[in-house]
Amino acid sequence: MLGELLHILAAAIISWILFVAVDIFFKLPETGGVVGATAIARDIEAGGGDLSGGTMMGNIVCSPDASAGTLLAACGVYLAGIPGGLAAAVMVYIGNRICHDPGYAGTTGAVLATFVVYGFTLVGFAASDFIAGMVIAILTIQGLSHTHASRLLGRLWRIRE
Amino acid sequence: MIFELQVVFGLIALAGALSAALLKDPYAKLIALGILVSGALPFIVDRGYLDVAIVASLIAPISTIFVLMAVRRAEQ
Amino acid sequence: MIALYVVAAIAVFAAARAILERNTGRRFPYANVLNFAVAGSLVLLLDHPITLVAAAAYFVGSTLEANAIASTYAGGVKR
Repeated sequence: MLGELLHILAAAIISWILFVAVDIFFKLPETGGVVGATAIARDIEAGGGDLSGGTMMGNIVCSPDASAGTLLAACGVYLAGIPGGLAAAVMVYIGNRICHDPGYAGTTGAVLATFVVYGFTLVGFAASDFIAGMVIAILTIQGLSHTHASRLLGRLWRIRE
Repeated sequence: MIFELQVVFGLIALAGALSAALLKDPYAKLIALGILVSGALPFIVDRGYLDVAIVASLIAPISTIFVLMAVRRAEQ
Repeated sequence: MIALYVVAAIAVFAAARAILERNTGRRFPYANVLNFAVAGSLVLLLDHPITLVAAAAYFVGSTLEANAIASTYAGGVKR
């Protein structure tokens, strides 16, 4: 049981790095996008957070992004291997267009995660570890402290700029 | 589904329903209805009714959008 | 399997925080965590290829719903 918990924690760290990197690469913290995301960012800033970080958190809420792509890709690999992960990427792409999001952060995240998760299943991980790991990763960003998470994301965004 | 998990998701659904009734802010009520559906859906999937789950998870957000449209119309 | 219990625990934690939070804009990220957790738990509950479609439909639906509520909230109007 402890071994599996350690696998889940390692998967959480890997998923965190993956989805944050892809989202920042696709400029999710850039302000001025979806109206709902701006409103959420405004409220996070009012609570002491960073505006760019809050914008990324708002964008994660309002449209499937790399975090959603990673989660659904992990689910796909768990159920059906690499074809399952790629099928999940297709569904994330459709979901993006349904939410009026012209970006590719979700699809890219899903495709990358498919291969990353599959690769790790060859070295002793289970795909279910990545499902739980991704949920833990999103909890650390969206579910613990919005101020600290948005400041961290804001700092990473400024490195990118 | 083991009993403890049924309790967990049941509590999520119950908490969503209660807070939809008790919270004052209208947006909070809508979010709470979403929590209610989120708590109920695992029961549907656990029994194998995947088609019901897919239909329910498509209908719930659409009805929320209709509620938002109706509220906007009512306030004009 | 332990992944399902981890995900369910996170789900209940996120639901509680979403309900107890005072500020509307800050409720959304907590509800978003709940959506992630429930989507993951659907797949972990039933081992069937179509569960992926159900989880994806649920996740996209809940994201669309959160987007709609947030956009209306942003309309500024507490009429």
